[in-house]
Amino acid sequence: MQLIFKIAWRNIFRHKGRSIIIGIILFLGALLMTVGSSVISGMDRGLEKNIVNGFLGDIVIIPEKEKSDNILFKLYGESVDTITNYKDIKKQLIKEDDLKDFLPVGKNVTTVLNEEDGDPGFTMVLGVDFKEYCNFFPDNFQLVEGDIKNGEGKQAVIKQKMVENQETGIVIPLKTREDLYDQMNVWLIPEKSRLVEENLSEDAKDNRSELKIKNTAVFMGMSSTNSTSDIRLTVKGIIKYSALNTIWGHFAIMDIESYRKCLGYFGASEKLDIIDEEKKKLLGLETDSIENLFGSTDVLVSDSGNVEVADIDFSKKEVSVVPTSRNGSSTNVDLEAGVYNLVFVKLKDNINLEDGVKRLNSTLSSSKLGVRAVTWKKASGFIGSMATIIKGALFLFVAFLFFVAIIIIVNTLTMAAIERTTEIGMMRAIGARKAMVTGMFIGETSILSGLFGGIGLVVGIAIAQLIPLFNITSENDIVQLLFGGDTFHPFLSMGDILVVIFELIVVTLITVIYPIIVAINITPLDAISRD
Amino acid sequence: MNIIEIKELTKNYPLGSTIVHALRGIDFNIASGDFLSIVGPSGSGKTTLLNIIGCIDNASSGSVNIGGVEITKLNDKEITDIRLHKIGFIFQTFNLIPVLDVLENVEFPLLLMKNRSKSEVKKRAESLIDAVGLSEHIKHRPSELSGGQRQRVAIARALVTNPDIVLADEPTANLDSATGEQILELMKEMNRKEKTTFIFSTHDSNVIKYAGYVLKIKDGKMVN
Ligand SMILES: Nc1ncnc2c1ncn2[C@@H]1O[C@H](COP(=O)(O)OP(=O)(O)O)[C@@H](O)[C@H]1O
Ligand SMILES: [Mg+2]
Repeated sequence: MQLIFKIAWRNIFRHKGRSIIIGIILFLGALLMTVGSSVISGMDRGLEKNIVNGFLGDIVIIPEKEKSDNILFKLYGESVDTITNYKDIKKQLIKEDDLKDFLPVGKNVTTVLNEEDGDPGFTMVLGVDFKEYCNFFPDNFQLVEGDIKNGEGKQAVIKQKMVENQETGIVIPLKTREDLYDQMNVWLIPEKSRLVEENLSEDAKDNRSELKIKNTAVFMGMSSTNSTSDIRLTVKGIIKYSALNTIWGHFAIMDIESYRKCLGYFGASEKLDIIDEEKKKLLGLETDSIENLFGSTDVLVSDSGNVEVADIDFSKKEVSVVPTSRNGSSTNVDLEAGVYNLVFVKLKDNINLEDGVKRLNSTLSSSKLGVRAVTWKKASGFIGSMATIIKGALFLFVAFLFFVAIIIIVNTLTMAAIERTTEIGMMRAIGARKAMVTGMFIGETSILSGLFGGIGLVVGIAIAQLIPLFNITSENDIVQLLFGGDTFHPFLSMGDILVVIFELIVVTLITVIYPIIVAINITPLDAISRD
Repeated sequence: MNIIEIKELTKNYPLGSTIVHALRGIDFNIASGDFLSIVGPSGSGKTTLLNIIGCIDNASSGSVNIGGVEITKLNDKEITDIRLHKIGFIFQTFNLIPVLDVLENVEFPLLLMKNRSKSEVKKRAESLIDAVGLSEHIKHRPSELSGGQRQRVAIARALVTNPDIVLADEPTANLDSATGEQILELMKEMNRKEKTTFIFSTHDSNVIKYAGYVLKIKDGKMVN
């Protein structure tokens, strides 16, 4: 063993040129593999952190009628089906051991009416109970314009406004504001605040003198199953999501009551309008299906804006109204009785995502709640698949490089074997077994890959550690996906490093197989017949 | 006592569509401790015969018995072991492992045998290096030695395992005649000292004078 190692070691120095070629290839291979896997790991971790903790939770419960799991980025304008039995779902979710928390939300596309005779705008919105939302996603956005003075731009400012002061309104991300400006030529700013010049988009700056500035806008739901209604909302703040701002920035957030009104989910009178003529005929005859569609309890908002809870019994065409006061005792119970589109779910830390979603789905389907659970990866549609594509592309790239590397190394080593025919044949003649020849080749390649691959690995780890220090950021959606967030933050776990080492060993073994076959088939005769 | 017994040995090489009869029936015995020279012109079959005795080529027919073992019917591992334990080789050139120094080259077969301690191996190798007169070059690599010195190392290495036979195929062919004679002297001396059987081939009739016995072959046949 020591002898084999000695010979292998010295042969490396004897054939310096060849060793350096193989060494450089192994160095680059290990380096690329390490950096590549740190990028992938960083992306995975970043996406998971920024999607799970920043926008969706681990699992999204969606209406069963939704054909696609991709609920977040449905074809623009297509509306999401409703969840009308949230209270029943909640009863079930509370019993689930796997879950840490859950949050019902409305999610749809709204039209923003143009009051200046221009084109309308469009934006995706979430309808949330701000108190619950801010608890579920603490500090996932900052206030960049608005009533910043007493909260330093923290989410808490909005929370205080919307929860403690019981205000209604909308918060709009920077990105959405720019999009709306492009569409409508109207620049939105929060109430009671002034234009912040440096936040103007390039186009808006160019148009500074004629800029139409507003702090309210009229939002109209675009729901295919319901008739639409509109609502004027005050802009409570311009926000920036803490991560993946360019992606989440397409989503404005409004309070759930306004959301329901906007989407036309609300109100006894509106409720009847919701049902178009054809449906009315059908539904009017079949009580069960009506109840299935809307549930037995709904939150209603009258035209005057008051929130009311009503038990609607369509069969009797009677409405019993329980009045509540906007300024007084509007409670969670009231809100939760209403219509939602989705429920975001967070799993406990130790629960595996796929297992968790499987278990949740089996309870959901057995309790016939008309909803199903999908993972954040599926729910986020193209984000999840883009991540997979980026990963796949990186993998293919690395695999291709390795393929080329393996071919070069195999070629070089095979030439080395042939070059050493006399030497090997002579060794065999004086009693060296095939195992010894094999050992020599494995030894040489292992030393090279241990040394150069090891250096590559260490340099790769160093690069992965250094990159975050440069604080590389991007505003580009795709690049942000690659980063898994706003900043490029590669990450290497011990497992990743072990995988790289394992891959290096596999590559070493693969490259050495053919040269070994060539070498052990060298007979003493091959050496002698050269004389 | 015969260390080697050869009976009706033939060797044919296929060459394209024809067959080269390199050995056409060799019969002879070699006694232990002999210093035998195989002499014949180029192409007569000397190398072929030595290769078969040395277990690095196989016979087409006939039998070769070395120290009581019929070597024509062994597998690669057994053949390798016979080469390691019973035979020492001195080739014309390319005798030594380039990356090992003189001591390590001589130690090499002993280390392959794995049945001696490191210090024993070293002691044995050093004594043989001393015997071939290379004590001063013990740390030199083959590339730092002259042709004659390399052959001396080869002799030391061939003898280090105490083999039954040492085979040397034209060991002096690449040396000038003075050096060649020194090498043959040394072989002869080692033959006396170590009581090892030596078989060497040559096409140079000048060197025959060193031989104890001479086997003349021509066209693959023994001649008197
Ligand atoms: N591998 C081979 N293939 C074909 N013919 C061979 C081969 N090796 C040797 N021969 C032939 O066998 C004969 C004996 O060769 P060899 O034993 O090398 O003779 P010598 O060593 O006496 O010069 C020669 O005619 C040679 O051409
Ligand atoms: Mg010859």
